[in-house]
Parts: sequence; structure tokens; C-alpha cells
Amino acid sequence: MSAQKVQAGATDGWQRGGAQAVRRRIVERLVSVLCCIATVVVLFLLFSILWTLVTRGAAGLSLSTFLHSTAAPGSGGGLANAIVGSCEQTLLAALLGTPIGMLTGVYLSEFSHDGKIVSFVRFVSDMMLSVPSILVGLFVYLMVVEPAGHFSGMAGTLALAILFIPIVVRTTEDMLHLVPRAMREAAYALGAPGWRVIVSICLRAARGGIMTGILLALARISGETAPLLFTSLGNLNWSTNLNAPMASLPVIIYQYAGSAYDDWVQMAWTGALLITVAVLATNIFARWWLSRNGTASS
Amino acid sequence: MNTVLMGNRPAQAQSAPAIAIRNLDFWYGENHALRGISLDFPTRQVTGMIGPSGCGKSTLLRILNRMYDLYPGQRAMGEVLFDGRNILSPGIDVNVLRSRIGMVFQKPTPFPMSIYDNIAFGVRLHERLSRAEMDQRVENVLRRVALWGEVKDRLNASAAALSGGQQQRLCIARTIATRPEIILLDEPTSALDPISTARIEELLDELKQEFSIAIVTHNLQQAARCADRVAFFYMGELVEVDTADKMFTAPHEKRTQDYITGRFG
Amino acid sequence: MMVVSSTTAGQEAAASGRNAGGNAGDAAFGVLARLAGWSILLVMAGIIIVLVSGGWQAFSTFGPGFITSKAWNPITHNFGAATSIFGTLVTTAVALVFAVPFAFGVAFWLVEMAPPALARVIEMAVQLLAAVPSIIFGMWGFFIVVPFMAHYVEPVATRYLGHVPGIGLLFRGAPYGTGLLTGGLILAIMVTPFICSVMADVFVSIPAVLKESAFGLGETRWEVMRKVVLPWSRQAVMGGIMLGTGRALGETMAVTFVIGNSNRLGWSLFAPGNTIASLIALEFPESSAGSLKLSALLALGAILMVISFITLACSRMFLQRGIKN
Repeated sequence: MSAQKVQAGATDGWQRGGAQAVRRRIVERLVSVLCCIATVVVLFLLFSILWTLVTRGAAGLSLSTFLHSTAAPGSGGGLANAIVGSCEQTLLAALLGTPIGMLTGVYLSEFSHDGKIVSFVRFVSDMMLSVPSILVGLFVYLMVVEPAGHFSGMAGTLALAILFIPIVVRTTEDMLHLVPRAMREAAYALGAPGWRVIVSICLRAARGGIMTGILLALARISGETAPLLFTSLGNLNWSTNLNAPMASLPVIIYQYAGSAYDDWVQMAWTGALLITVAVLATNIFARWWLSRNGTASS
Repeated sequence: MNTVLMGNRPAQAQSAPAIAIRNLDFWYGENHALRGISLDFPTRQVTGMIGPSGCGKSTLLRILNRMYDLYPGQRAMGEVLFDGRNILSPGIDVNVLRSRIGMVFQKPTPFPMSIYDNIAFGVRLHERLSRAEMDQRVENVLRRVALWGEVKDRLNASAAALSGGQQQRLCIARTIATRPEIILLDEPTSALDPISTARIEELLDELKQEFSIAIVTHNLQQAARCADRVAFFYMGELVEVDTADKMFTAPHEKRTQDYITGRFG
Repeated sequence: MMVVSSTTAGQEAAASGRNAGGNAGDAAFGVLARLAGWSILLVMAGIIIVLVSGGWQAFSTFGPGFITSKAWNPITHNFGAATSIFGTLVTTAVALVFAVPFAFGVAFWLVEMAPPALARVIEMAVQLLAAVPSIIFGMWGFFIVVPFMAHYVEPVATRYLGHVPGIGLLFRGAPYGTGLLTGGLILAIMVTPFICSVMADVFVSIPAVLKESAFGLGETRWEVMRKVVLPWSRQAVMGGIMLGTGRALGETMAVTFVIGNSNRLGWSLFAPGNTIASLIALEFPESSAGSLKLSALLALGAILMVISFITLACSRMFLQRGIKN
């Protein structure tokens, strides 16, 4: 009896506020449901994209995709020239951009005594990070392609490098800021000159994060199409010559997806699948790697 | 005079101090952090520096190896004589200075590299050693800090994997590997457990056979245990300096008395 | 008495890499780092100069009317920027209308409601969505979304919304599938992950005390979000939205596929249109060097640059103020 009474009393105590409380609970519930729906929709879209790519792209995937160059409609062929061209331009851009980006990151993080110009460089670098990539393509076209008189893989590489650098600048600076001041001081206290402290201690401590940033930047530029349209143009034949137009996966996808030939559209899907798998795999790997050995102190 | 000290090394304590500070003033921007400090650090003795937080004891330590150079807006005025020269003068090569006056910090700061390289890093900055000589040097300093037995099988493992106490001993080993004449310690045990602290204190006792040591500490017992002479700082001034015995039994100044009896701090 | 002040010797030492002894390594490293840093300025200046000087011919031919002119006629050499600026702004606006609520919902769910293990997976998925190359969005949009829009969304929208006074105008027109609405939707999917991760970061960084004291008063999660977290993080959230806006404004490939590429300006969101970026991508290959058309495209590029620059400046201002709070 008494236990029941306590129970009843407790239930009353748990229901304070009456109608207003009910309304609050309903709103809370509604918001929760809406948020869940938003999340589900975003996930659904991601899976829809992946599903479309896999179902449509896998059909055209075969050994000859990797062995043969692009060919006229109806005559088979593969994507070998585009894959190699993409790799060549992307990796060269990374090779070109990594030292410049890292040095600039170091400049922003370690040379703050240079004064206002450092924050100006930081601002401009952030600006470059969000410059529409097609404008970078225009810039390189006017600076390199037009004077040279022809499209070239080198021009594409340059355009990609310009997109690559600011990403590396940002990560390098951010990661260097995570290096504890005590570690720098300890290195200075041993009599190390500034550049040794930066190179041997700070960059080393930050290498996990910087590597991740470089990988993510690599993934980002490898999928870029717009800056390549007016620079490396694309090339239906096998070519690794940097001084000639060069094929790349994104540009091939762009050209083939809009074509009227079914086998070219198929090829575009296959290319889209390849590039997406490569980009997402790099992303996953980079983040996994960061979570394993990316902390600045170890 | 402390008879024990007299018996040990009377001449050095009195004749040629390792570092002599004369009329030193220091500013953090507008903040006048040290005023008119004059203090000798006797050769091959431990000089303890005590005082409440913000009294300037760590600041003084960071002047002795010109650490303040790293930060614009900090400036020192006066004389700090070391090996016949004023280390505050512009002509001093701070990198050489820092190799001659080593420093160990509050928190262990192992570099992101192997145990071996942590020690070799500092040595390589100043000397060119053969592989065998370097091995020898590494083993030698690790033995001196009583770490050799614990790490000799994993010299190539990351130093970050060591315990806090081991890391701090590694940092001391790293410091003495560059063969400094003076070692500055900035609260070296404040981040450590009592057992690790005791081992470091033992180590200090041994190291003073070879090095002159300046140690900043919050821990008065530690100062009493380790230091030959103790300097008490308060609000940017050096209140008094004396042998550890006298300082903790019969201080001259009221402020010192108040501090060591725990009335502020 | 020696006087050493860091404003003279000290800072000189610092400037040369902190080594008063004249260490060549420090000097060389300092030179390298500065050269790298300043090269960024050079490239940026180059982009601006090239676009403005390239577009100068168009600016001087058409004057300020270039911005308000709806013309785009390669045959009569009459070019104007109005339709593509309009298309850029409309698609971006559509993108934000959809992206902001979704990004907020996902961020809110991730930070406040999701079980930690699930949250990590979803966060990863959101980041992966952000990493998908834009051309993939374009292709997926062209082959999947456009037919879907043409067969289902647009006819239904016309039937139910087309007669609503006011906004009805937006939803009339032939259901091509391609057009401003589709372009905006694809952009929304692309920028949602960006806005979402900024929001999630900001929501996580709110001091626990603030939230706990509100929860302590018996507030629900939504009330805490609305009354405590959102007011506290308003600036940074705006910064994140502006960041997404910047991306939407300059996005090329995703839009080019689905925008329909038509030089028109009107109320209907279903009608094909243009954005600056898509117009450049589509028309640039067909404009010869030195032509007025090329100059007009470069002038459009300069305008896009200015728009995205303003967006970025706003975003930085908001984010910095948000962080200071």
C-alpha cells in the first residue's frame, strides 16, 4: 500500500509543468526526429552516389581499362592514358607544391616576428584556398599556355600545384602550432640554431599531421577538372610528355559523360568509379593514419 | 660558514664563481620583472632558487642561457659574467652559449625521435663524432643518469614511450651529453612522482661533482636537500642568499622567514 | 654597464633566424621560407592582374553596363554579365536554403544525440561526401538527379506550388530537369558537409559550463541549442556558412552538367540558366585568343573573384569574431 503511494507521489512529481511541459517535450521530440531525418538524407545521398558509381562503373571495368588508351567510339580502348596522365600531373604538382607549401607554413608559424606581412601572407593563402579552381585554370592558361602557344601537361601540373599549395600551407601552420613551446625551447636550450629546431624538431613532431594534410590535398587535386580544361586540355592518345597536351581522368569523364556514344558514357562511369575510389581510399587512409600517429607530441 | 662545504671545496666556493650576475634588470615588455639582481653561482655547487610564483626565479634562469631571446619584447640590462664575458652582449654566439650552459625544463620534453637520437641530436650540433664515439657518449650519459640499464635494449625505440621520470632523466642525459659547464634546472621534478623525484635528486648530488648547477624549485624540502646555497626571490628582487643550512634555520630577512614557514607563497 | 635590448640586437638576431653569430644555415633557411611565403603573394597578385587586365577590353567596351546587360551574343559581339551573375547568386541561394538546415540538423545530431561510435562513422561519411570530386556530383546529378527532377519533383512542385501567389512564379515552367533549381540542389549536397563540419566543430567547442548550467535548469537539448549554443556560436556558424557560400559560388563542374546553359534571366527556378563558372567552362574553349568574347569571360572571372573574395572576407571576419567570443 505505502509503496504504491510513494510510487504515485513520485509520478506526480515527475510531471511538473502540465501542458507547457508536454509542448516542450513534443518540440524536443520533433527536432530530434528532424535531425535524424537530415542525417539519414545526407547519408542516403552519399550512398546513392557510391551505389550509382559502383553499379554503372563496374560494368565497364576490365583489364583493358588499365592497359589501353582511349579510343574512338565503338572500338573499345581503355583509360590507361588518362590514369597515367592524372597520376603524373597530380604527383608532380604535389612534388612541386609540397616544399613551397611547407616552407610557407613554416614562414607563417615561425617567422611571426616579421610583422604584418606574415598575417598578410596568411590572409592571401586563405584566399587562394577558396579561389574558384576554374580561375586558376584561366590564370595558367594566360600565363603559360597562351605564351607557349599550346596546351601542356606542365601547365596542368602548375594549375594543380597552385590549388595544392594553400592546403599544405594551412595544415603545416596548424600542425606547427600544436608543437609544444617547451619542445622548441628544449631544442634551443641544447644550442640548436633556429632552422635545426624547425626542421629536426618541429616539422618532425608535426609530420603525422602534415603528411595527412598532404595526402588529403593530393586527393583533392586528383579529382579537379576545371583547372585542367584550359591547361592540359586532354589527349586521346598515350602521352607522358609534359610539353604536350595530357589526358587526365576528370577531363576524360567530362568529355565522355556529355558525349552521345553509349560506350563513351560507360567509360566515363568507369573513370568516375576509379577516381572516386582512389580519392575516398586516400581520404580514409590519411585519416586512419592521423588517428594512429598524428599527435604532435609523439 | 658551513663546515662541510668548507671541507669539500672551500676555494671554489669563494674564488671564481661559474656565473656572476651584477645589477641585472629584466623586462617583459613594460613589466619590470627583475630588479637589480646581483648573485654568484659557485662552481660545482648546487644553487637553489626559491620564492613564490611570479617572483622572477624562472625568469632569472632563462636569462642565463638567453632563452628570452626567442621572445620579442623581453629585454635584459646589466651583466651576467660567464667565462670572462658578459653573456648579454650582442657578440655572444647564443648557440655556443647554450651548449655550455644546458637547461632542463619543468615538463620532460623528449624529442619526437628515438632515445639514441634524443641524445645524439644535441651532440651532433656541436661535435663531429664517429659512430663508435657517439655510441660511447650515449652509453656514458645514460649510465650517468642511471637509465642505461632500463633502455639499453631499446635505444632505437621512441623516447615518447618512456615513463615521465625516465623521460626527465633522458632530458638530463641529453643536456649533459653536450658537455656543458653549467646546468640550469627549472623545477625539474614538479611533474614527477615522489620516487622519480628522489632519483633525480640523487642524480643532482652526483652531477655536482662535475657541473655547476642552478635549480629553481617550489619545493622547499627539495631546496634544503639538494642545494648548497639557496637564493630567495620575492617580487622580482633577490631578498637574500645564503647556505642552505642558514637559510632554513636562521634567515636574516623577515620575508624569507615568512615564506619558509609557509605564511605566503 | 652593458645594455642589451631585444629591439636592437635581439630582434636582429631573431630576424636572421635567432643566431647572432651569423649562422649560414639560419640565414639560408630564412631566405627560403620568406621566398616561399612571398611567392604566394606573387601568384595571387598574378591571378588578379591577369583576370582584370584580360577583362579590361570588355570592361572598357561595355562600361559599367557590362554588369547589368543581359546580352550574350558572340555573333554581334555583345556581351553582358547580368544573367551569369544572376545564375551564380540564385544557385548559391538555393544551395544555402537547403544546405544550412541539413548541415545544422546533422551537426546537432552528431554533437548532441548520436551514440559516440555511430557519430564517428557518420562524421567520416560526411567528410567523405566532402571529398567526392565535383565532377562526380556533376555526372551523378546529370544522370540521376536531372531525370528525377524532370519526372517527379518539378511537375509536383508546379502543381502544388505553382499557383501560390508570390512564390508560385518560382515554380512554373517546363520541367526540363536541368536548370537553376537542380544546380542549386547539387551545390547544396556539395556544401552541406563543409558547413556541417564547421558547425559541429563550433558546437563541440562551447564551454561545458554554459551548457551544463542550462541543462541544470531542466532545459531540453533543443532549448539549450536555441538559447545557449546558437547565440554563443552565432558568429562562427555564420563564418562556416560563408565558407560554404564561397565554394558554391565558384563551383564549376557540378553545375556545368546540370545548369542547362542558357542565357536567360527570369523568375522560374526550373528554367535552364548559367553561372559565371559554368559559362567560362563551356564558352572558353570556343573563344579565340584576343577576342572580345575571351575578354568578357575573363571579366566575368574577375567579377567572380571579387564576389568570392568578399564572401571569404566576411567568413574570416565572422570566424575570427566567433573564436574571440
